[in-house]
Amino acid sequence: MSDKVEQLTKFIQEKCLWQFLSRTWDREEAISGVIKMIETLQTGGQPVIETPIDKCHYADAKVLLTDINKAFSWFGELKADQLGEVLHGAEARLKQITITGSLNGELNHQLY
Amino acid sequence: MPLKLLKCDVTIPEREKHVYIKEPGEDTTQYLPISNAATIPGTLSERGCSYCGAKLVIGGVLKDTIQMIHGPVGCAYDTWHTKRYPSDNDNFQLKYVWSTNLKEKHIVFGGEKQLKQSIIEAFQEMPDIKRMFIYTTCATALIGDDPKAVAKAVEKELGDVDIFVVECPGFAGVSQSKGHHVLNMGWINEKVGTLEPTITSPYTINFIGDYNIQGDSQVLEKYFHKMGIQIIAHFTGNASYDDLRGMHRAQLNVVNCARSAGYIANELKKRYGIPRLDIDSWGFEYCQDALRKVGAFFGLEDKAEEVIAEEVAKYKEQMEWYRAGLKGKKVCIWTGGPRLWHWTKALEDDLGMTVVAMSSKFGHQEDFEKVIARGNEGTIYIDDANELEFFEVLEMVKPDLVLTGPRVGDLVKKLHLPYINGHAYHNGPYMGFEGSVNMARDMYNAIYSPLMKLAAIDVREKAALEVGV
Ligand code: SF4
Repeated sequence: MSDKVEQLTKFIQEKCLWQFLSRTWDREEAISGVIKMIETLQTGGQPVIETPIDKCHYADAKVLLTDINKAFSWFGELKADQLGEVLHGAEARLKQITITGSLNGELNHQLY
Repeated sequence: MPLKLLKCDVTIPEREKHVYIKEPGEDTTQYLPISNAATIPGTLSERGCSYCGAKLVIGGVLKDTIQMIHGPVGCAYDTWHTKRYPSDNDNFQLKYVWSTNLKEKHIVFGGEKQLKQSIIEAFQEMPDIKRMFIYTTCATALIGDDPKAVAKAVEKELGDVDIFVVECPGFAGVSQSKGHHVLNMGWINEKVGTLEPTITSPYTINFIGDYNIQGDSQVLEKYFHKMGIQIIAHFTGNASYDDLRGMHRAQLNVVNCARSAGYIANELKKRYGIPRLDIDSWGFEYCQDALRKVGAFFGLEDKAEEVIAEEVAKYKEQMEWYRAGLKGKKVCIWTGGPRLWHWTKALEDDLGMTVVAMSSKFGHQEDFEKVIARGNEGTIYIDDANELEFFEVLEMVKPDLVLTGPRVGDLVKKLHLPYINGHAYHNGPYMGFEGSVNMARDMYNAIYSPLMKLAAIDVREKAALEVGV
């Protein structure tokens, strides 16, 4: 599974801007929000859209999911538990690269 | 590879922390160039000043606003006409330049009287215009003029004008970036929410971080209007002053240039709960993604697909034609910051080009995180590059084309390499579907034009006769 996590991480790193929002809290919210939406959509669930921010995550996830399925034939074949493992693995890697391990000195400024 | 000290930088070894060459397996947790830091003394920077970032990039774009530059006339001249952002009201903002034309006596005795006189004179000369930006510059900030007090007094006196003051002299920050920041924060603090916009659609957005370079905003507007979406404010392409006062009423902020305008998008989210959707509005594929995302946000997926189908049908063939000629060509992107990450994969995926070196004048580390994530291994990434570094990098990567501004472009031309204006474009617009084709065409023409080869020939020599010059 770990090579699938890496493939997906690299794909998202190249493609998506939401992981690079200005501050730690913005990045955390976006990464968790979009990955959660992807999991829901891929497993045929009903996405929970209660706030405008949820709607934004939904929009990002919907387009990304189409691209992921196009890029990786194995993605659609994952069982629910495997899907969770890959997605949460990628989520953790993204947070490590863009938040906890990030060398960006501006990430934790209180002001924008 | 760790950060790299170029040969030309041996006497300024601090530059090593600003240059990076990506190796396989590396990511931005290992190496991230220092950026948005003070230029190192001894390096010949290509940056602009902070006032310029506010005026030339953002404020000066507004189509119905007097841009009063409080300082010596040079500050006004330097930020006039160097970027082509038209408007649909006969380009008012490009035709005129306003300055308080400060002289030595004002530096000694103060410039506020002169400022007040200039403001009133400008409004009297242009009686249809009721909006104004005032900018401080190095000289007027140093002598301690208070343009906000002057603006308030004039507003009271004239009664029907609205004035916004940007206090960001050239020395306020390390680059243009400070000017972006100050203008963004000033605007949200003082002007957003002071006017209620007329709502004409159930779907409303602000389009943030696009400055209508050669008509970019007008291209994007066309797509959104076809989808039935109202753009409350375009920050700031082809926008009016009052459009921007109503930004608090949009349901979504669609953000292109996150560097120059991410601040206002963040603040609109924090203060008004409007979410921020970052997109790339350059690039043939990117543009499709962008419209799909906005469509998904509003439940207008079908409308988005209609626009995409129509535009792709119109321009796909041309993109493919240019792709055949541009495939494998090596290109450098040496611009402000965000275009590095907007363009690198777009040029590679849409046109099959290879981006071999990228340099940013005012990008922050956030921009380098994006560009290194998107960019190639082996590519050279530089912050605030100097002239000698540019020459050395050209030797190292031998590009077919450089996308950069006229300053660096002139250096490049002297080496008989083609360059395309990456700031104000050659023949834009470059955004959207038709923009992608325009950009491909300009790059193709630059690379295949015989001009650069001919320019290298001394016509008096035999070689010239052989090629029939
Ligand atoms: S504001 Fe200062 S640095 Fe900028 S153009 Fe004027 S004098 Fe030069």
